[in-house]
Amino acid sequence: MPGTPYPKEQMHRIAYTKLSEQQIADKLSKVIGSGPTSASPLSDAFVGKTIRIVTDNGPALAYKFVRNNRLSVAENGGGAMDAGYGALTLDNVAIFSHMIPGTQRGYAVVVDQGTNLATVFELWFSGYDDKREVQREIYYGYVDQAGQEAPKARHAPTNRIEGKGFYWKQDTGAETLEFYPSAAYSNFVELSRLGGELSFCGPSDYIKINEDFCIYTRTECELSGTFTAYVINLNRIEQVGVRLGFDASDALEYYVFRGKGEWLGQLAQFEKFGDESGAPVPAAAPGQTAAKGARRVYRPFKTMAKMTKAQVDAACAKHTSAFAPRAIAPGANAPAASMAGNLGPATDWLAGKSFTLRYDNAPAIEYRVDDTETLNWRKEGDSNWTKTRYQAYESMPGVILFGHLLEGTPNHDGHAIVADFHQGLMTCFNGYLNTPYYANEAGVKILFGVIEMEGLIPPKYNRHSFTDEMAGRAVSQNYAPGLTSMHLYSTPHSLSWIIFTGSDAGGLEWSGPAAYVKIRDGLFFIYWLEEACNGTLGTILVNVHTMRDVGIGYNCGENGLNMNALGAHERLAGQFDIKRFYQVKASGGVV
Amino acid sequence: MSNNAISTRRSFLKNGALLAAPLAAAAPAAVLTDNGLKVRLAKLEDEAAIRDLHQVWLQRVNAGEVDAAATLFGKTKTFALGRTVRSIAPDHTGEPDAIVVGADGRSATGRFHCAVEIGIAIPLDCTLAQMAHQQGGGFVCRTERRVLKVRYAKASGGWSIAKAEFAPA
Repeated sequence: MPGTPYPKEQMHRIAYTKLSEQQIADKLSKVIGSGPTSASPLSDAFVGKTIRIVTDNGPALAYKFVRNNRLSVAENGGGAMDAGYGALTLDNVAIFSHMIPGTQRGYAVVVDQGTNLATVFELWFSGYDDKREVQREIYYGYVDQAGQEAPKARHAPTNRIEGKGFYWKQDTGAETLEFYPSAAYSNFVELSRLGGELSFCGPSDYIKINEDFCIYTRTECELSGTFTAYVINLNRIEQVGVRLGFDASDALEYYVFRGKGEWLGQLAQFEKFGDESGAPVPAAAPGQTAAKGARRVYRPFKTMAKMTKAQVDAACAKHTSAFAPRAIAPGANAPAASMAGNLGPATDWLAGKSFTLRYDNAPAIEYRVDDTETLNWRKEGDSNWTKTRYQAYESMPGVILFGHLLEGTPNHDGHAIVADFHQGLMTCFNGYLNTPYYANEAGVKILFGVIEMEGLIPPKYNRHSFTDEMAGRAVSQNYAPGLTSMHLYSTPHSLSWIIFTGSDAGGLEWSGPAAYVKIRDGLFFIYWLEEACNGTLGTILVNVHTMRDVGIGYNCGENGLNMNALGAHERLAGQFDIKRFYQVKASGGVV
Repeated sequence: MSNNAISTRRSFLKNGALLAAPLAAAAPAAVLTDNGLKVRLAKLEDEAAIRDLHQVWLQRVNAGEVDAAATLFGKTKTFALGRTVRSIAPDHTGEPDAIVVGADGRSATGRFHCAVEIGIAIPLDCTLAQMAHQQGGGFVCRTERRVLKVRYAKASGGWSIAKAEFAPA
């Protein structure tokens, strides 16, 4: 029977081995002499040449290239060391990589043979708590030409790559979607390795060689720690690069690769016109000097609270609140008032009404709504009502988003519901806790159904349904002054969020599983899970006609369980053409 | 850059002597005694040193070097707006800077009309805010016109800031 392309565990769920320095050294020792592998023929562009690369505030590297996979290198005038290497070229631009014998260090070097400018990435292991995570420092310089003055120009960080997205197919067969919605991070979807359900994020560098060529890097921090760097020809959509790291089974990946791609689109940038600067996120805090290789890395898994079921139950017993004013709910995981700055007014549309939400795949729930903040609910057949707090928002005439906690349920459920009273249809994102990995991480069930209410005849067969209309779109959200993000609907099953810097460049980014339900034309109900992150279930109802969203967040942390409302002013930021990668096509049939 | 409090600016003697000449020329030279010249010179030196101190302090505040800026304070370290101040820029629509050295030569005051950028930290109550802070942001900023009122003290031959506070412009 043919296998599916999906992994047993998604990348954010893999318990990557904490490799020791010795384990890493042992694995590296096997490739130092041979250099990186390559599925494509290696370039002989440097064979027989002796070059000296001089960098600003970095190493001077003297190379002698003996064969197309053998070089000697001397650092800063030291003794020459023999090492294996691999080089590939795109027109005048070459990338080569090698390790330094006896160390856990190596280099990836990009040389523009037309201008003799060079960018040097020094790479090393065992430079962070998680020793498998590749560290990098970037040096800009040039190839020294005897008797000639050093060039003044340099390759430089840029935001000119921000907003681009590509489909890539490497000579290894690996297929990816790669998005650059930030000038400091990037987003990648492993189509062939993992089936492409989810996107993942990593800190990235974007370096301009010229208008046609650039360099991109990514380190898969919080995941395998693998480093990837490649040169892109932006017109022909071709790449040559290097990959260094340890995969999920701890096997060393060290290879150079060549790839071809397709342009998927261009998202908007929000920096001021004329601002083409790169590296918008400073490596160190103001007043501090950045250590070698330093960069700001979002490490949500490292910092998240990881709670057991008993701890969740205790935290919820101690503090549970829904739509509480900020002053009532203390603590860092209290209602996210920061995201409610642009929340529109709540509606009293439900006040005084009684109705039943009849789910196709869950027990029906009956409602009696007292006023704008209190409702009573019970499962159909129960005799007792439960009174609880709620809030409701009318995003489009007749479409009400409302939410409430289901006190007393064993998994501390909370419902975020979109009810279309003009159509008699509803969708519920049923959040719950006590999920398999960490009990405080929210899970979600998606419930479709109809509204039963006096004077309203719901459809028999029609339902809200999943949609791929939003797939590939990017929408910015201004939640409050100083708090602006952008959603990239990176696959039909995941969502990324990008935080803007003070200069409105894309900064840190992260991603989570998501789903998209079409409520009406121009109205989409979306959830995302901050898995291996803060554990939050976020839901938003996006109205692309008014460019406003309103949503409900559901979060459990050490300070208890909270449900809160959020709202933002939005801007469309473009769309990547990715739907075609998610069409299920006929194959050979059932075997 | 040294974090030491600024002592009298010796370079002023090189470059500032010519600037001081018109002041001296305002009164007939014969009227001024040697002692008067020394007092006047000392006053100008003190003003210049305080101006330098103010400039260094502004540079550190505007660079976000809060701790380094604090080293320019004396023992009291009284700064009314604390760490919410993100930048201070001269307000050229306001009155000129005024530095007045006390008769004892050991205290001074400064009044500086300025535009103050105040950053109020967004609470760390959601993932977005946490990420914004991690990348060095997470502030809601506003700029207000203020008068920066500073008291200076001289000890061990050097000037330091005794108190800095903002008053409405």
